[in-house]
Amino acid sequence: MLAALVPAGSVGPRLRPGLRMARLHLASRRVSAALAAVAACAVALRVALHWHWDAYGALQLPLIFETACAAAIAVTTASPFGEPERATGRWLPILRLGAVLALAAAAAGALAAAGTGAHLAGGTLEVLRNTAGLTGIGLLCAAMLGGALAWTGPTVYLMIAVYALYTQWHGPALTTPWIWPARPSDDTGAALCAGLVFGAGTVLITMRGARDSVART
Amino acid sequence: MTAAPPVRPPARPVPAAHRPLGGAGRLLRLEVRRNAMLWTLPLAAVLFWVLTFRQSMAYPPLWNVRAMTMQATGVAVFAPTVVGAAAWVGSREGRHGMADLVVGTARPRWIRQLAAWAATTGWAIVAYLGCVGALYGATVWQGAWGGPLWWPAAVVAASLPAFAALGFAAGALRPSRFTPPLIAVAAFLALELSAQFIHGDRSYWQISPLVAGPWEIGPDAGVAIFHPYLPDLPIAQVAFLAGLTAVLLGLLGLPAGSGGRWLRRGAAAITAAGLLAAGTAVALAGTGRLDAHGMITISALHDKADDRPIRYTPVCSQPPIPVCLHPAYASSLPVVTAALEPVLDEVAGLPGAPIRIDQAAATYEQESGNGVGIRAEGPPMSGPSPVYRLLLPNQLPGPTLTSSELVVAVRTNIGRDILADVVGVGRSADPAQQAVMAAILNTVDAETDPQVAAAAARFAALPAAARRAWLVEHLAALRAGNITLARLP
Repeated sequence: MLAALVPAGSVGPRLRPGLRMARLHLASRRVSAALAAVAACAVALRVALHWHWDAYGALQLPLIFETACAAAIAVTTASPFGEPERATGRWLPILRLGAVLALAAAAAGALAAAGTGAHLAGGTLEVLRNTAGLTGIGLLCAAMLGGALAWTGPTVYLMIAVYALYTQWHGPALTTPWIWPARPSDDTGAALCAGLVFGAGTVLITMRGARDSVART
Repeated sequence: MTAAPPVRPPARPVPAAHRPLGGAGRLLRLEVRRNAMLWTLPLAAVLFWVLTFRQSMAYPPLWNVRAMTMQATGVAVFAPTVVGAAAWVGSREGRHGMADLVVGTARPRWIRQLAAWAATTGWAIVAYLGCVGALYGATVWQGAWGGPLWWPAAVVAASLPAFAALGFAAGALRPSRFTPPLIAVAAFLALELSAQFIHGDRSYWQISPLVAGPWEIGPDAGVAIFHPYLPDLPIAQVAFLAGLTAVLLGLLGLPAGSGGRWLRRGAAAITAAGLLAAGTAVALAGTGRLDAHGMITISALHDKADDRPIRYTPVCSQPPIPVCLHPAYASSLPVVTAALEPVLDEVAGLPGAPIRIDQAAATYEQESGNGVGIRAEGPPMSGPSPVYRLLLPNQLPGPTLTSSELVVAVRTNIGRDILADVVGVGRSADPAQQAVMAAILNTVDAETDPQVAAAAARFAALPAAARRAWLVEHLAALRAGNITLARLP
């Protein structure tokens, strides 16, 4: 695969073909668009944090932007090539893993940076936990439903999490750690659940990639 | 030999394009069969069950609470799912790079888009009708008093075409794999934001379909029981949503290439009409005010006939002092009667005691910001033969009380009020009056003054008949403040 990607006569340092392959992989996944979406979410969160929010709104706000980032990351897993790409070499899982980890780190970092110096409900730890967990849900959905419909998982989970936050005021409260956004940032169980989902999603998407047979609608 | 019968020539098939709605109907049928909304229907149904159905079923079977809860949560459930699916459908031609390929088809682009939007909307409405049918059916089955409130259901139904148009327009104008998730989350964020900006009853933001009444008190068991559910705000919301739908769909038909000249002129007219409707509806919502019955009234849309109270026959407990509740609260009657029984048995027939206890409607008053004052309509005691008018704790906003919580709340507040009227004091009683009240209300342990507590315990230890006999004999002196703790038996 590498030989096919490197034009004749342009063989340079050993890293160059690898970098080019990574760049092509990222381009095929529209990673630049996903990064733009993540940056837009961070800017919007920063702007929104300048307003005064009641306690309920303040808790929802970061969660909504974390969901948008996670959905954008999940959508990047869709491959435009399908089966031909799977047959081309052994580097594909590594490329998938690298893309997912880089995007997740970028999203968590951008959102945490957006909250610096402002009142970000839950703080950086909660941003990290929620973004990782929501991204994991998106990756699991990508593996099961296909990359194109992977956004449905984080979006549905967002509504359940918002409802769980609502029940903190208007009981009976939902306290399961599987709905981690409704748990405090220092809740170990919630962090474990979010980490587990992120790990499972990452492993699955690394090994198998997004499901190809998406709804052709 | 016989002649062969004449053979009738087969009827020439009429081209689909020449049959009324033939081509459009076929196009719509194709879109219905291959619509992405089908994939999200199970998600919407599960979300409705988790967020709306379970929450509504946790409330008592009252149409007002359940319908208002359904409006707010139903909109929140269907907004991201419908917007996302519609964006997916709307971006289809662009994502597949088929824009040029389909230019030559028989139908203009705008008509094709309208067919796809209609199919998406249709599936969303089918899913919603199933969900709301299950909720309303369960409420009927549980014996809720009165009839279903259709306006909250209509607002959610009207929001579905608007959500589909929003998603579809976003997908068509910006076809990308990122459009569905981002516009779905953005729609949800916009809904949440709209609620944040509501301050008081004259807010333009009440036009948000999330709003089913005074925003800060939320679904309230006290409204639309004694008086009709006012359609003023729902009418404005439906008009806004219809206008928004028209604007978004009309915008799709404006660009060159979306259709012929007349089609584009039609799209422009629809856009203008939609803008007018939506703008008018927002302006009307800004003139809303909280009426005394807890609903948002808009004078330009208000029907005076809706101010008349709903006639009903109360359900009452047995003497000595019957407790009469609105039939919508009939399930609370045994609990309320049991909570007041110790007090009513002791005071029945005594001067100052009511001859009947009636449930009163709640009356509402807008306070500063989003504050709302709620109290019972009319004076607590009325008429030459005193009738006590009670406001059930369940008529107030807030979490639904369990039976044991309701008993405590009724006995502590309403029982104390009735007893205070009999003993002849307000809340500031003298020590003997305090002791008598604590003994009858069974709140001896809550007394902070040890002397009062001891006297109350002594009085409470008497048989009920002895306590009543003492009250009959000494009530006038007790009311006059001439009884000391030492004189209590």
